[in-house]
Order: sequence, then structure tokens, then C-alpha cells
Amino acid sequence: MVGIELVSIYKPKSLSDALEFLDKNAPDVKPIAGGTELLLLIRDKKIKPPKYLLDLYPLKKQLSYVKVENGIVRIGALTTVYELSQSILHRDKRFAGFVDVYDKFGTMALRFEATIGGNLNAATQYSDYITLMLVFDASVRLESVKGVRELKLSEFVLDKRKTALNPNELVTEVVFREPPLDSSSSFVKFDRREILIAGIVTEATYLHLEGDTIKDVRISFDMVSGRRIPSRALKTEEFLRGKSFTSDLLEEAAEKVLPSEMSRVTDWWTTADYRLEMSKVSLKRGLKLAYERVKGVR
Amino acid sequence: MVKVTLTVNNVKYELDVPPLERLIDTLRYRLGFTSVKEGCGRGECGSCIVLVNGNPVHSCLALTSRLDGAEITTLEGLAPAGKMHAIQVAYIEARGVQCGFCTPGFIMVTKALLDRVSDPDDKTIREWHSSVLCRCGSYPYYSEAVKRAAKYLKEGKVYFDEREVREKYHLKVLAR
Repeated sequence: MVGIELVSIYKPKSLSDALEFLDKNAPDVKPIAGGTELLLLIRDKKIKPPKYLLDLYPLKKQLSYVKVENGIVRIGALTTVYELSQSILHRDKRFAGFVDVYDKFGTMALRFEATIGGNLNAATQYSDYITLMLVFDASVRLESVKGVRELKLSEFVLDKRKTALNPNELVTEVVFREPPLDSSSSFVKFDRREILIAGIVTEATYLHLEGDTIKDVRISFDMVSGRRIPSRALKTEEFLRGKSFTSDLLEEAAEKVLPSEMSRVTDWWTTADYRLEMSKVSLKRGLKLAYERVKGVR
Repeated sequence: MVKVTLTVNNVKYELDVPPLERLIDTLRYRLGFTSVKEGCGRGECGSCIVLVNGNPVHSCLALTSRLDGAEITTLEGLAPAGKMHAIQVAYIEARGVQCGFCTPGFIMVTKALLDRVSDPDDKTIREWHSSVLCRCGSYPYYSEAVKRAAKYLKEGKVYFDEREVREKYHLKVLAR
């Protein structure tokens, strides 16, 4: 038997009860949602077993939802990836990036366990929902006994496995503005297999067209400038904005602009050179896919 | 220690478990459901998949202490004593099993799939079968098995007589 340590588990009766418990025992508590990340960290001894686990299953009813109202999309932190696939996000071409992420997310069984809040909190370059939500310019809602604050996702994720979350706070919701009608998104994940992959390169695109002119574009990669967290390729976005969508433009963006702001790392998966080459390809693929979706070709 | 009430294969168990005890350990070592296999222990191989409230869940990543009141189905609970479930028969007939270690995981995933989609296409089957790793490479046979099982279930044949199936396919006949 593995993993028997002296930890106690607390089952809150409500959200406020959970927040109070968190506030009282602050640094010694770890909230646990799907458990697909935390339990492995404990098992691999990457973190010390916390004194208390805060079981979030009892809050499931309250914090598992996808709502699109008044031009704002709200996703509850305890929504599982599978539940997301049953929601309106998977039936609207503007959110097609969510379908792409889902298609290459872990395995079927993991999709029933993993939650959005957990994916954002894991804060690694493999957190595909961070890469995706960055292009939707999402914010996370953090709640504590003292109140609620909203942080941009880019400010929330500080470094690998490091977020701006205080020990007495809980991520309760992800919010982003509903994208306009002639926009779409895409997500490209490249690896040697199709499934159960971390992704050598992952890229997300949001594209808003006016005719053939790029009105707005947001692009993010799993790593941009050596930092091991997903972030936006801001220079490339700036270059593309306002221009007419042509293959020459994509070529120039990929070959000239992107390398100027991207430095990749070599690890035992692959080399930095190969990663950069694939990043260029992913950029072009992602933009084309989003373009075809806006135009209704796909 | 945490007190939990679990319903495993329609039998209620009241247990006192340490907070970090994994569901797989509870099922295998406390309750003796040895169809639940531990492969990687980290949610990759899927041999330990059981159904928790109808959803496929890696029992190596689930904590028993969090599952108070849950209904759990393992391979043993798929059919009543002396019977075999159509999915089990389909897996035998498709002759997918080589070493057999991953088969319980596959059968539980198939159950979850057929509960949701009665007539799955190849893409859906592959998507769901991605949950389990089979290193004998029996995926094509297993896909065949899912289709066969879907056909049986559609014809209303849910349970088969275990002794008959065993005799028909020259499997070890258990003395009862």
C-alpha cells in the first residue's frame, strides 16, 4: 500500500465554511479537487504531505457550471473537463479551441476527474487550459473570507507551479468576455502520439476578422521566452493586428517576428531548435485553422 | 481515520480508513476485489479503472475517504453470480485477451461508454479506449469486442450463463 500518511481530511458544508477552514489553518491546508495532480505530487515527494486536505467534492454542485450571460462566460472551478465537453462551449464555433484542447486532453477517464480550477492551479507549461484561456484574456476569481478579487490569468500564473493564490484563497471561477460573432479560436498540440501527451509544442489562437482584415488576434504558447509557463506572443500579435490575412503574412510572422521573441529550451524530449521550428509551424496551423473556422469552411 | 459508507457491487460496506488511503487499496486489500489492478499507480495505464457513480475513475488517484456514499462497480459486480455480462462475453469472443492484465480496465471503460452511447463508432471507441494502455497491442480486437457487445445489448442479451460460455470457449470451468 502506498501513501498512508497522517493527514486529516476536512469536508466543508458550504463555500463559506471551506473558506473559514482555509483561513484558520492557512499554510497547512491543500484544497483537493480532482486529485490527479496533487496526489501525484505527494506520492512523488515533490511536496510535503499537508496537514489537512480540504475536500472540494462537497462544493461540486455549487462550483460546477458553464454560463454565458450578458456577454460574459463564467466557468466554475470544479467543472470537470468532461462536463465542459457537454456544455455550450463545445457547440459554438467561437469556442472551438475548447474542443481542440479536449480532444488531446489526457485520456477519457482523466477527463472525468480533472477540473478546470485544478488545471489552472497546477501552473505548468502543460496546463493546456492556461494556454487556451490566455487567448480569451480570462480572469480568475479568487475568494477568501476577506472578500473576492479578480486577477488576470497572466498575473495569476507567476512561474512553474507558482501562482498568485494566497494560502487562504480558493479559485472559484474563470471569467472571460464573450468573443464577437466573427471570431474563432483554435488550439494546436504537437507530440509524437495523439493522446496522453504533454505536448512538445502547444499553441492557442484567438482570431477576430473583419472581412479579411485581422481586427484582433491573440496567440499564446506553452513557453515563450524561456519561462516555463504559458504566455502570450505579444510581438507577433502586434505585428499581425490590422493587416490583411494572407499566407505571405503568416510566413513573415512565423519566420521573422516569432523567433525574435521566442527562445526555446532543450530537454530530453527534444531540442530547442526543433521546438522553435515546430512553434513556427504551429503558429501557422493555428491561425489557418481559426481563419477557416471564422469563414465557416470548417 | 475517516468513516465512510461505500456501496461496492451493490453491497454496502462501512469502513474506517486513513484519509490518504487510495480507493485501489481499499478495493484490493480491504475488500478483496482483485480485478482492480495496479499498473503505474499514477493515472496513466488505466488498469485500475472502476466506475464511481457510473463514471470511469482511476482508483489509484481516488481517495476512499472522499467517496462517502459513492456507488462503485468493479468487474466482479458486472454480472450476478453464475452469469457473465455481454461485454465480458464479447471480449472473450473477440479474442483480444493476451496477458489479460489490462482487460478489467478495458471492460469497465467499455461499460461506461455503452451506458452513454449505445452504438459507438470507431473514433468514439478509440477515444474511450485511450484510457487504458495495452502493451500486447490488442486494441483492434478490443474495438471489435465493443461493437459485438453493443450488438448483444441492443438485442437485449445482457447476461449469459457463465458455465455455458466457459464450456463453449474451452475456458477453465469452475466447480460450483
